[in-house]
Amino acid sequence: MSVLSKIIADSASKSPWIYHINTGSCNGCDIELVAVLTPRYDAERFGFKLTGSPRHADIVVVSGPITTQSEERLKRTLEQVPEPKCVVSLGSCPQSGNVFKGSYSIEGPLEKYVHVDVTVAGCTPKPEAVIEGLYKAAGILKKKREAMKK
Amino acid sequence: MMFPYLPLAIRNFFTRPSTVQFPKVPVEAKKNYRGWLAYDPEKCVNCGMCIKVCSPSAITRTVEPVEGGEKITYEFNMTSCTFCATCVDFCSTKAIHMTENYHMVSEDPKDLVTVGSRIKETKNKNKKLTCGDACVFCTLCAKNCPEEAITVDRAEKKWEVDHSACVKCGICVEKCPKKCLSFEEPAEEKLTCGDDCVFCTLCAKNCPQDAITVDRAEKKWEVDHSACVKCGICVDKCPKKCLSFQ
Repeated sequence: MSVLSKIIADSASKSPWIYHINTGSCNGCDIELVAVLTPRYDAERFGFKLTGSPRHADIVVVSGPITTQSEERLKRTLEQVPEPKCVVSLGSCPQSGNVFKGSYSIEGPLEKYVHVDVTVAGCTPKPEAVIEGLYKAAGILKKKREAMKK
Repeated sequence: MMFPYLPLAIRNFFTRPSTVQFPKVPVEAKKNYRGWLAYDPEKCVNCGMCIKVCSPSAITRTVEPVEGGEKITYEFNMTSCTFCATCVDFCSTKAIHMTENYHMVSEDPKDLVTVGSRIKETKNKNKKLTCGDACVFCTLCAKNCPEEAITVDRAEKKWEVDHSACVKCGICVEKCPKKCLSFEEPAEEKLTCGDDCVFCTLCAKNCPQDAITVDRAEKKWEVDHSACVKCGICVDKCPKKCLSFQ
């Protein structure tokens, strides 16, 4: 491995980029995730950065119960994220459907489509809990990256 | 002024950043924050009201028969909960409460549950020691009690027993010369309706077990004693206050 690619790999592991997808969420969890990136909570201290494209992402944050409309978009988005990736389920909805459980238009849970690495429960989770979840996800990502090297 | 925010900018050089230094400095949730649910199985009477009012059906109950009774397990799934605290409000025995713990992060969602179970004993173990009319207050029972649960006052002609201390060994019953001591089944407290009843059906509507049936036309009030869990919700709801446990 050349010195340059080593530098790139090292710095990439310290700056996991987040892609956020809303699969029919009520917007509560989305607001809290955005709050985490504001100067008040400042998740960028840990290198987290919100990215606009799933192709640049390391961590995928999913909020909302998976609705029929968003199911296809979710699948397509997850396919575009390069390995190693880490999936975080934000709030109660992606895991269980929460109050939307049993609705005709709910396809969830998220576990059906992809392995969920970190679950952050709450309705909505406190920003501190979201930071905790992302921090945990970064650790998992680091382990996955090392496993891939071998 | 040419640079209106210049003094503020200079002042901010010497102040701390407003960022919450979260993982370094632990942050506690504000008072009355609705976080991880806590459940006390000892207080629970298994009425099932929390399951009935839970909108995301986050609460599950399992009943399995064990020796000497039934094992009742309640599971509160935090990955399904909306933290509305309706179950806390409806719990007649205050067995459920919200804690201020917001750290609900895990790699395995199965960790994010609150589970509590208790064994509900079958009724025949609740026998109580009683003294009959033939008592001569000889104090032999009190003298022979290994737990000193019985107190007898010869002068006042009083016989008393501490039911929490009594271990039901039966020594006193054997020693009693008048054979007036006995273990009796306590009278089962049953829900009864008085004469003031207007057959409003409020008790039946609020019963979590649907144990009460009221027929307005026939003016009939009935309760299924095997289904009743004695939660007392109907007694609270009765507008005529004619319901009671007797």
